[in-house]
Amino acid sequence: MKRVLILAIVVLLAGATVSAETTLEWWQFWTDPAVKPVIDSIVTEFESAHPDINVNVTDLTWSNGHEKIVIGFASGRGPDVVELGSDWIAQFAASGQIADLTDDLGADTAGFQGWDMATYEGAIYARPWILGTRVVFLNRDHLTLAGFDTTWLPVSFAQFYDAIHRIDSAGRSQGIYGWGSNTAEKHRLYKKFLPFFWSYGAQIFTDDREYCVLSSLMAVEALKQYKKLHDLYGYVDSQRGIEDAFLNGNVGVILSGDWLLKRIELEDRDINLASTLFPGPQYPGRSFKGGEFLAISEMSDHREEALTFIEFVTSPENQLRFCKANRSANPSSLTAQQDAYFQDNIHLQTFIKQIQFAKHPPVDPDWVYIEDEIEQAVEDALFGDGLPATALLKAQQQISEIMEQ
Amino acid sequence: MVRSRSIVGSIVHYVVLVAILAVMVGPLVWMARVALLDKTATLSPDSLLSTAVTLQNFIDLFTQSGMARYMFNSLFVAVAVTVGNIIFCVMVGWVLARHRSWFTRLLFVSVVIVLMIPVHIVIIPLYLICLKGGIYDTYWALILPFLINPIGIFLARQYIETIPPSMEEAARVDGASEARILFTIVMPMAKPAIAVLGVLAFITNWNSFLFPFILTSSESMRTLPVALAMLQGHQAIDWQHLMAGSTLAVLPVLALFFIMQRQIVSGVTAGGIKQ
Amino acid sequence: MTSRRLSRFLFASPWVLSFVIFWAFPLLYSLWMGFTDYRLLSRSGPEWVGFDNYVALFSDSDFLNSLKNTFIFVIGTIPVTTVIALALALLVNREFKGRGIFRSAYFLPWVTSMVVVALIFTNLFQRGGYIALLAQMVGLDVPTHGFLYDSSTALYSIMAMDVWMAVGYYMLIFLAGLKAIPDELYEAAEISGASSLRQFFTITLPLLRPVALFILVINSIKSFQVFVEIFVMTKGKFDTSTVVYFIYETGLQTQFKFGYASAAAYVLFVIIGLFSLLQFTVIRRRQPLW
Repeated sequence: MKRVLILAIVVLLAGATVSAETTLEWWQFWTDPAVKPVIDSIVTEFESAHPDINVNVTDLTWSNGHEKIVIGFASGRGPDVVELGSDWIAQFAASGQIADLTDDLGADTAGFQGWDMATYEGAIYARPWILGTRVVFLNRDHLTLAGFDTTWLPVSFAQFYDAIHRIDSAGRSQGIYGWGSNTAEKHRLYKKFLPFFWSYGAQIFTDDREYCVLSSLMAVEALKQYKKLHDLYGYVDSQRGIEDAFLNGNVGVILSGDWLLKRIELEDRDINLASTLFPGPQYPGRSFKGGEFLAISEMSDHREEALTFIEFVTSPENQLRFCKANRSANPSSLTAQQDAYFQDNIHLQTFIKQIQFAKHPPVDPDWVYIEDEIEQAVEDALFGDGLPATALLKAQQQISEIMEQ
Repeated sequence: MVRSRSIVGSIVHYVVLVAILAVMVGPLVWMARVALLDKTATLSPDSLLSTAVTLQNFIDLFTQSGMARYMFNSLFVAVAVTVGNIIFCVMVGWVLARHRSWFTRLLFVSVVIVLMIPVHIVIIPLYLICLKGGIYDTYWALILPFLINPIGIFLARQYIETIPPSMEEAARVDGASEARILFTIVMPMAKPAIAVLGVLAFITNWNSFLFPFILTSSESMRTLPVALAMLQGHQAIDWQHLMAGSTLAVLPVLALFFIMQRQIVSGVTAGGIKQ
Repeated sequence: MTSRRLSRFLFASPWVLSFVIFWAFPLLYSLWMGFTDYRLLSRSGPEWVGFDNYVALFSDSDFLNSLKNTFIFVIGTIPVTTVIALALALLVNREFKGRGIFRSAYFLPWVTSMVVVALIFTNLFQRGGYIALLAQMVGLDVPTHGFLYDSSTALYSIMAMDVWMAVGYYMLIFLAGLKAIPDELYEAAEISGASSLRQFFTITLPLLRPVALFILVINSIKSFQVFVEIFVMTKGKFDTSTVVYFIYETGLQTQFKFGYASAAAYVLFVIIGLFSLLQFTVIRRRQPLW
């Protein structure tokens, strides 16, 4: 009994001293030695600007961060502030684990891009931080070898396919492939297919979200063309493998993100690089976009402090610092995008332009399952014996079933 | 069945043996070759013939990734489980070997049942037990469920049954406590069995992937096999480093294999290592 | 005497605890979960749904496909592994110089971590990798993107790797069985003029029957649960998903459907049980099988 009493007193005392100071738990994914120092110094600066708030940073990894967040929320030992990938927002919003921030952030949307990805059923659940998209990278030397002008870039699918075809026919004897095609890697393959899908005008759902229209004529056409590139000109490997091959001069054209620029810079790669927007039947087409967002736990007792913190982290200046360290091309802050750092680099400009012509997957709590079905359809058509039309039809039926549940 | 054979016959015999040897050991040789290759070298089958050797990949693993931590985790968990297995399996095996009652019969049945149960059935419940019990993502989750295992009990019981109980009885007459008898008489006598079950426990847990993978989520809790499997899914890793990490995972087992081959073989033929 | 009794219970208690907490309870727990809708992500707790999960499983093409692949894996690897293991055992059973070296070398893959083996073979199976080179040398068709990036070869490649890894282990068990056959039997056969082939079929094989049973049972229990190599090498892509991979994916990866995954685990549990029973009854029969 005595012990319990002492314990109670200790707990009370501890509570009393802590109440003056708030500790925010922040879970985030940036562990790369290039960016981690920036994250740390942003946190330190925040703490010195707000002496009554402590921030405790927990690092997550991409391989199992999602799992940790799910468990954290489920067990009630979750974070106050959490970094979420755009495709996870709907899932956590629908299950009530992240807070509706519409009233807190709604007035503040003008200076930032990416709100569409954080909006679920009309309410805003997270603040955009760093966005990302995919652009077309080409090896200029291969283009020249294939007989193109030194400044020529494809502006339509017809020209895009022609470039790949000509690079491939000019170079295959020397081991140069026209197109880097992804193998069936989870979470990666569909991101490569969707730009084709969207650019041909296909949609996953009807606008009112009532029906899945995955196997429309446009969609079938997109998959046929994608398969054709894969079959005829494809150097097929993991994303990493394709990028290696591209950087080693074995692949002429790939679709990739800003991390490729980072690799080229950090590894000091010698490549005659050209970049351009993803084409469509006309210019431009629609690429894939996603991003990193900051959300607040519904269970957090420190919502005000968390909001202040989120605002601090995503401020234009801090985004700029982050992007420079990580070589990220798409800060969500429009002010940051105006900085000379982005304006002076032709490839970063491609990314900044591309994100205006990019779509993201529907904000849907069942997206993980839907994504799986789409990926399965592409896999069947590319690597199995499925025809594009039947593979898409099968996925459409599966997705319709998921929607009914 | 010793039989005289012609010289031609035995040459053919050796040729076949060596060919199979190449197939069985070749992949491990390739692993070591790639591990010692410079990271900028392009991999091709010809790399096998290259004589260039560098330890840089290993150095990188320790300086640029958490390799030291992964190895420590693997070692710590494997050693803890091995020690637990030695103490507990002999303890239970002794009870089973020396007594016949409804209780020990029931125990023995439970041991046999667990030997037959496919482990996949406990993946989800064990995950939830660890999660709700608050040991998920801690060393406890990697150690507690494996501290005692049916194969070890089985081996200990079988061995102790072959030892006459006269020493134990003499000690009992002298007034020694049961615990004292266990630790000062049974354990030393059961050394051969302990060597077998200990080395099996160590290798099994050092190599184990499924449960360490499922029961942890932090990078700092990863064991070597989990870390290797995760590194492979990661974007920025090349074969040279991956194979260097693999070599680190194989070396301790290889060393044990050469030192304790007899024990490993006898344990394994009795139904040992569950991969 | 009572203290002896007490100590007996005390010494047995680690196993009793371990059995109850880590085996008996989980077994019942997952049986129960299989009849509920239980997901980590939903805010309501588990909800009793009767046989719904089981009904859903058998119309879930992903599950059926993983079941199909699991059967291909088991039925494809076990005979090959067993026959090669027996051949190896006969090969090293004779007396000759260096026998121990060969025996250990053949067994070496088994003590290597499955993750490591899977990583090595992922490399070997790549396009332009060692196995592609060897296949080309003997005139086989090589898939353009590598063995693991092709639905028609991925699963079989993993199966081949598993055979490579396991033969040494089953060879050892066969060796133990061969050692147990008394030499007199062969001597008697020799005197009556039986050829060595005849000796093999009339003495060796029949007497190895219990060993073969043991091998078949443990190998099939193990093979039905194939997971690690799938996880490391293909992540279930290219038509390689197996039941345990399915359990992992639905139960623990992104979806956290514990109820559904537990039901799938029980389906496999029953299949393994029936399969083992079948092997027992078939092999126990007295008629020659071979």
